[in-house]
Amino acid sequence: MARVAAVLSALSRALRRGQKSVWSVAGNNFFIVSAVVMQDAGVFIYLLIGVVILFPLSTDPLRKIPASRLRLLPLTGRDLCILRAASPWVNPMTWAIAALAIWAARGKVTVGLWGLAAGMVAAGLALSSLGIAPGYGLWRHLPGFPGPLNQLVRKNLRQMLSTLDLCCALLLSAAAIAFRLTMRALPPDAILILTVLVVLALSSYAGALFGLDGAGGRSRYALLPVSGWQLLAAKDAAFLLIVVPLTLPLAPLAGLSAALVALAMGRNKAVNAPREQLRWRFSTGAGSLEDVVGGLVQAAVMIMAAASVYLSSPLFVAPCIAAWAGSLWWFGRSVDRVFRSGRMPD
Amino acid sequence: MISCRKLTRRFGDFTAVDNLTFEVAAGSICAFLGPNGAGKSTTLKMLTGLLPPSGGEVRVCGLDVRSRSIELKRRIGVLPEDLGLFDDLTVAEHLSLIGDVYGLNKRVTRDRGNQLLRALGLEHGRDTFAAACSHGMRKKTSFAMALLPNPEVLFLDEPFEAIDPVTSKIMRDLLQSVAARGIAVFFTSHVLSTVEQIATQLILIRKGRIVWDTLAAEVPVPLERHYFDLVEAPVVEEIEWLGSPRS
Repeated sequence: MARVAAVLSALSRALRRGQKSVWSVAGNNFFIVSAVVMQDAGVFIYLLIGVVILFPLSTDPLRKIPASRLRLLPLTGRDLCILRAASPWVNPMTWAIAALAIWAARGKVTVGLWGLAAGMVAAGLALSSLGIAPGYGLWRHLPGFPGPLNQLVRKNLRQMLSTLDLCCALLLSAAAIAFRLTMRALPPDAILILTVLVVLALSSYAGALFGLDGAGGRSRYALLPVSGWQLLAAKDAAFLLIVVPLTLPLAPLAGLSAALVALAMGRNKAVNAPREQLRWRFSTGAGSLEDVVGGLVQAAVMIMAAASVYLSSPLFVAPCIAAWAGSLWWFGRSVDRVFRSGRMPD
Repeated sequence: MISCRKLTRRFGDFTAVDNLTFEVAAGSICAFLGPNGAGKSTTLKMLTGLLPPSGGEVRVCGLDVRSRSIELKRRIGVLPEDLGLFDDLTVAEHLSLIGDVYGLNKRVTRDRGNQLLRALGLEHGRDTFAAACSHGMRKKTSFAMALLPNPEVLFLDEPFEAIDPVTSKIMRDLLQSVAARGIAVFFTSHVLSTVEQIATQLILIRKGRIVWDTLAAEVPVPLERHYFDLVEAPVVEEIEWLGSPRS
């Protein structure tokens, strides 16, 4: 136990020194909107999905120790299990979220659901311990794309496919398809809402586009003879290649509009305040109050864009395309500046 | 091919690179030497446009590094300190990326890529993702990426470290062969024995300043002794508890 305590003490010290990491609870826009807008239904989602899956996978201070170093420490299997389970609790935010969840769920969640929650925590911890490397399975065999950015688009797709945001969106999209196949037709309003939810689940990634590239990837970007807007376009292409098929059985044009808005609004954060993103975690959407507010504003504009296209006229997709193209040009110049200045994410 | 005048880089109050002035001609193999933290990698980053200088001028292939960076990038090959690889691409896909972005046609990219993979002993790992490669494989991949577009100047940050002796010999031969065709090679290294074998120009820096810039032919042998005299001499302290029974 002394060895575990020593590691936990070092983790706690590292967290205190990196002030930002104390507040580093990754929050997908989908959960923020669910918790704020959906009220009663939101409690369920917030507790079971938002908290239960999110905090063990996203506040994980153990990531501060490189996996190779952790394996070299003289710790037994039992020590590692204790460390794995105890490490999230050195972050004060974990305590705050847990207290909030218990308070929000009081009287509304049965013992069975609490049991399910505990099981999901265990599954989440186990998944994050597996350290699944990128490019396994089907993602190895992605098709090629036309143009000189072919390999960059392929890489960006593989990166997106290794985040939990995609799993969340896939779940929603699959549920909608299953409902449409087995039940009567969905009411038009439900189609719009489900479309928005699918894009919302993915929208946090629009603010963390460079998070999975690592320091090596970013220095390669700086060395490639391509402009900043081209690097962003390769990121956007991958994002849209995921969004469009997932919203195809719902309202594709509304989904496309919401996705373009998500990309345009996520640019500033993705380029000027980039953060490291871990695989098999949710995108770091809510690291601070500013991020939460930004996420809500992004979500609100996405909802407006999708609703305008779906309920009023498909022509409303034009201003979304214009906003996206404008952000591509403007922030492309920022990308050039960032990579030439040697600035790197935290 | 490479021309620096009063190149300086400050980080706050700390001056990492201080008034460097030197030139490297076409066909030269210039070794840039110095202890850890002397400013070698910072200099290399400024020469390749990865880091803006705080002062001074840098021209590579006659181009100003700051104002014509895209044009410059098309004409140089770089093996950066962190290797510049993407975890989500395989070894072969990295070479294909360079071919696509540098405007080589598919057949040329494939042929050159296959030759480089064969030469560097990477053929068996061509479909391995960078994340799953050993450090040596990653370094060889990055080296192959630097060579693939057939650049006019090669910048290599510690190319021989963590490389097996056979590949090291192949890399030395490749560098000598490209230099003989007029390509300028600028590399940093701590492996003095390798430096002695291939360098035609030597620049030693210490605390960000040049202490020695000479042609290799004028180097007194052995280089190691001269390095210790000019840069820093090793001080070996007796650590008594090492090797004694564990307490």
